[in-house]
Amino acid sequence: MTDAAVRRVTALGALTAVLIGASVVGLFLVAPEDNGPGGEGQIQRIFYFHVSIALVSLLAFAVAFIAGAAYLRRPRPWWDDVVLISIRLGLVFAVLTVITGSIWAKAAWGRWWIWSDPRLATYTLVVLLYSAYFVLRSSAEGERQARFSAVYAIIAFISVPISFYAVRIAQSVVHPVVFTSKGAAMPNSMLIWFVIALAGMAALFFTLLQLELIQHRAQRALQEVKLRLERG
Amino acid sequence: MRHPDAPLVDASGLVRGFGGRRAVDGVDLQVAPGERVAVVGPNGAGKTTLLRIAATLLRREAGTLSLLGWEIPDQAQQARRHLGYLGHDPMVYLDLTAQQNLELFADLYGIDDASECITAALSRVGLLARSHDAVRTFSRGMGQRLGIARLTLHAPRLLLLDEPYTGLDSRGARLLDDLVADVGADRGILMVTHELDRALTGADRVMVMHRGRVAAEFPTAGTDLPEFRKRYAELTA
Amino acid sequence: MNPSARRQYAALLRKDLRLEYRTRETIVAMGLFSLVVTILFEFTVGERIGNTSAIAGGIIWATLTLGAVLGVGRTWVPEREQRVLDAILIAPVPRLVMMMARTTALVLFLLGVQVVVVPLAIVFFVNGTSPASLVLIAGVCILADVCIGIMGALLSSMSVFSRTRELVLPVLLLPSLIPVVIAAGGATDAALSAPRQMAEYRGYCLFLAVYAVIFALVAYATFDYILDD
Repeated sequence: MTDAAVRRVTALGALTAVLIGASVVGLFLVAPEDNGPGGEGQIQRIFYFHVSIALVSLLAFAVAFIAGAAYLRRPRPWWDDVVLISIRLGLVFAVLTVITGSIWAKAAWGRWWIWSDPRLATYTLVVLLYSAYFVLRSSAEGERQARFSAVYAIIAFISVPISFYAVRIAQSVVHPVVFTSKGAAMPNSMLIWFVIALAGMAALFFTLLQLELIQHRAQRALQEVKLRLERG
Repeated sequence: MRHPDAPLVDASGLVRGFGGRRAVDGVDLQVAPGERVAVVGPNGAGKTTLLRIAATLLRREAGTLSLLGWEIPDQAQQARRHLGYLGHDPMVYLDLTAQQNLELFADLYGIDDASECITAALSRVGLLARSHDAVRTFSRGMGQRLGIARLTLHAPRLLLLDEPYTGLDSRGARLLDDLVADVGADRGILMVTHELDRALTGADRVMVMHRGRVAAEFPTAGTDLPEFRKRYAELTA
Repeated sequence: MNPSARRQYAALLRKDLRLEYRTRETIVAMGLFSLVVTILFEFTVGERIGNTSAIAGGIIWATLTLGAVLGVGRTWVPEREQRVLDAILIAPVPRLVMMMARTTALVLFLLGVQVVVVPLAIVFFVNGTSPASLVLIAGVCILADVCIGIMGALLSSMSVFSRTRELVLPVLLLPSLIPVVIAAGGATDAALSAPRQMAEYRGYCLFLAVYAVIFALVAYATFDYILDD
């Protein structure tokens, strides 16, 4: 662990704290309530967190995809760490997306679960897809574990848009899509706070990624020392 | 054959771990054309791991490896054409006939005049009469002899043998002895065994492995069995 | 494919078909399993709603996909149990050729099952249909089977090297196949409904084709890393 890495993660952590603090204050105290015709009132504020968490989970899976491809090109344990940690964090964010989405559904439509919301349905599939990553990972061993994990990170990431599209066409046929994203229709005062929330979540992801990478590196160094001691 | 004089195996610093410990830990290995090398060592010494790395079946984590002058893994396909691998199992499909098994491998290796080759190989191992029976009906010794037929079908230049005498009947053992004895000037053998006498009689050079490393390496000429046993016991203590 | 690769492909495919012809394990198990699941759906879902025609496509493809997991799980099993895998992997066969032979064998097995199960399921769930609809459904079968075959060959080759093979495969395979189930089910329903919904049918089939192409490319890019150790 180098000083530079510590400084980096400290700076990133501080930035994360500021951004998330600002977005919490902004979203709950400053941003206007959604009181227009058809507005959803207070509960609408969860939307900012819901959408930014969802986008950051996709970002995490994209990082895992890139790191997976990089691992296949140059099999360095560091890339495998990035894949593993990104998918773990991405999965946490995806589960939170489903939970916040469910809360929103309860508030907006009076039911905890709405299959006809394509985002909620897709994220449920995404959670399943990426949960399988850990099943595969725990059942493979050694260098093969890293290699298969990298391949699966690629397959799963490509499955995401395909799943989304499949859910979309299934619903457009069975019942027309009623609940479309209202993101584009946000007034500017809302949009600013949304962007800050999104940046905060992204910074949170990168901070956690860095922290865990440092931990993995330390663990591997420890392993190396143990090995050397064993050999005498 | 791009490099007729290139070493059959040229490896240095091979490393491969399994679950946190290194099964092969910095091994150098050379097999020249015409040479037979035996690798001996106690269980868990890393013999089979080393052989599987040399057979392109297992990736190394560090070190360099070329087979017949081809760089592994980039040119593995070219090298594989000249490799023959035999383990404790015959490595044939039990639900296919002997003939069908050899047809499959003749196709995979792109052998011309496959049917003559297959007939010749089957009669060499004494299975011609049973060529249309499913391998499932064979005895263990017969199956292993079919394994020898599979091994030699494409005239490999480098034979990789992993405890090949396990499960062989006396006829099969004789076949394998002959195969090892007249290796020829441009072929080579890398054999893993725990039978010290086989290593001594069947190889030109012996490598003793212990805990993933080469503990000693010496020519078999001028070494007698009792002396070898004593030395082996010291090295692997 | 060059001539030697074509010969290797034909040899590997012939081997799979010969093994299946001799033992008939895979197709019989897949077929029976699919029929049982079909009947399960009939008693759990079909009994409760009057007209099952509208949900026939979904039931058929959920059933067939579950059955396909059995067949995909048999992939590489003879190689593993009879320890032939090393002999195949050490032969100078491009990994792509192995993958294509595997995929083709899977597609043929799936079609073998569907020839029996799909007409039966249609009899069970649908109130009268026309030969033209059956032809359209045959097209769906071929497209969806190619998707399942590619994904199956790709993921089963990973699970075969894992410790808990039988457990890993369904967990790995089914989430990735959900889009195929959705589209194949939709296309089948479009073909069965009266009047036939040709625009919808074409859309779903196009989706299946795109899925097959995308994952064929993924398989092409990654297969070397799976089968090489």
